[in-house]
Amino acid sequence: MTEIIGGIGVGRTAVVAEVFHVSPTPTLPDWARTSNAVEVESQTLIQAIAEVEAQFKQLIGTSDGSSAEILDALVELLIDEALFEEAVAYLEQGWSAAASFGKAADTFSELLSGDAAMEERSLDLQDLSKRVQAVLAGINLAIDIPSTGSFVVVAEDFSPADTSQFPASVVGVITTGGGPTSHTSIICRSRGIPALVGAKLARQLEPGTSVLLDPLGNRAVAGGLISDATPEVEYVPKREKPIIKVLANIGSFDDAVMAAKTAASGVGLFRSELLYLNRAQEPSVESQIHDYSKVFAAAPIGPFIVRTFDPQDDKPLQFLGLEPKASIANYRVLKSRREILANQLRAVEGARQATGREVWVMAPMIGSAEEALDFADLARQSGNFKVGVMVEQLSLITEISKLKGSIDFLSVGTNDLAQNLFNLDRQNLTNPELLDPWHPEFLLKLTEIAQAAKQAQISVSVCGEVAANPAFAVVLAQLGFSSVSVAPSEVEAVSVALRS
Amino acid sequence: MKNIESTIAVIDPIGLHARPASQIVKAVRQSGLNVLIGRKGGKLITANSPLQLMALKIKTGETLTVSIETDDEDAAAALVAELQGLLKG
Repeated sequence: MTEIIGGIGVGRTAVVAEVFHVSPTPTLPDWARTSNAVEVESQTLIQAIAEVEAQFKQLIGTSDGSSAEILDALVELLIDEALFEEAVAYLEQGWSAAASFGKAADTFSELLSGDAAMEERSLDLQDLSKRVQAVLAGINLAIDIPSTGSFVVVAEDFSPADTSQFPASVVGVITTGGGPTSHTSIICRSRGIPALVGAKLARQLEPGTSVLLDPLGNRAVAGGLISDATPEVEYVPKREKPIIKVLANIGSFDDAVMAAKTAASGVGLFRSELLYLNRAQEPSVESQIHDYSKVFAAAPIGPFIVRTFDPQDDKPLQFLGLEPKASIANYRVLKSRREILANQLRAVEGARQATGREVWVMAPMIGSAEEALDFADLARQSGNFKVGVMVEQLSLITEISKLKGSIDFLSVGTNDLAQNLFNLDRQNLTNPELLDPWHPEFLLKLTEIAQAAKQAQISVSVCGEVAANPAFAVVLAQLGFSSVSVAPSEVEAVSVALRS
Repeated sequence: MKNIESTIAVIDPIGLHARPASQIVKAVRQSGLNVLIGRKGGKLITANSPLQLMALKIKTGETLTVSIETDDEDAAAALVAELQGLLKG
């Protein structure tokens, strides 16, 4: 039986090699107190830190630019003086060297938490802390991959130190965790090693058997042949401009900066909730105006589409006060907290005025024409926007005709649409059907949406992941979609396809 | 010795994140000077810890105060220029 494991592909080249499971990090001893003198323990700690530093320096010497730069920054964290002073404070309370360093790292991890840009550094710090504790416990953390042969290595995730010491026998990487911007992805991309990240079911791959790693197909196929790999289509641009507009999906100021460096002709999806995921309190209108203005000002020229807060199970908004499981995605949830939605729309209007940008707003989770019109009323009272709604619930599709004259645009969220169409569990995204935009039923549904929108004289675009597949973007143009919106990193490839 | 105070602007689009924080600590270490740094108007900390600098969570557009303990105004000015260069992004 062929087994297909879904995930997120990194790189463009497929490989076939033997599956090699890298064992999870050995368990470190529990933190303990010691009767040793502080001076003795502190010397022991200094030596352990120096040993980890030496390990890293050695790796830096054999690494390429990107990896070396990441490792170099890690060394600076390792020898951080404040970190050491914090550890000494724990030594003085009688904790062992390992416990003290671990606790000091935890203290700083805590300080860095709650800020997306720093979260990854907090993970780095934890990895460094483990390495120092392993040295102290005499545990070898080096990953043991045979240096001859060719392997696709499988693990939960790899730290930068792991990835940079892969022998040449590692020709592919599969992780059950991680995402497109995790260290593993960045380093694999820079080293030209194909990878599949977020492949939740990768542990099912049988060690020692052959696997096809097909990054363009976002999958690994047990026993698959290289001829089964998703072929890369090459496009040669013939036009100056794409046949339909390509916009960027963003979720932060950094994304906006990145998008502005691409050919994106605007922002097709701003995931506004990502700015406030961990807030226990609703952000004030003033702070929202400040945050949105910054993002608007940095974004690529062209219309800027703000999606209002989209609370879902995988990204609950604490200040909405919903039980995680109760936050079933529908507009009624936000309607019942109308103040929050009204405040957000006021803030978007404030930022629009402050920056002079062309701003459109759209609501997620809309299940009926009635809900769409309710949102449109509220939005038009709140500011000077073009108003749209997302098409992701099946119940809205049959009511698109009722939106004629009231709604300016529609945007299809293909991730949620596919999930609703195939009745998939959001926590089990590894189902390959969801990742396959060419599924006939899915294509039929998109065709139905495009036709209904055309009849209602409403422009319709696609802002889901599938649009980032260049060939699929061309199909969307043929179906009658007026624009696509994709991650900044995909704008170039999609634009080239749409110019060919 | 006197303390020479200057201000630098955080222009880097990601704010004072890991790489500039590490580079600042390195530059200060290499200068051999005693340097305090912090948010303008806020508490200053010794610039010897990238982690503490990051924990300030300084964002793009904020201004930092740099206080350098030295009588050598040229050395101080050179260091300030170097630190500003690291926060250009």
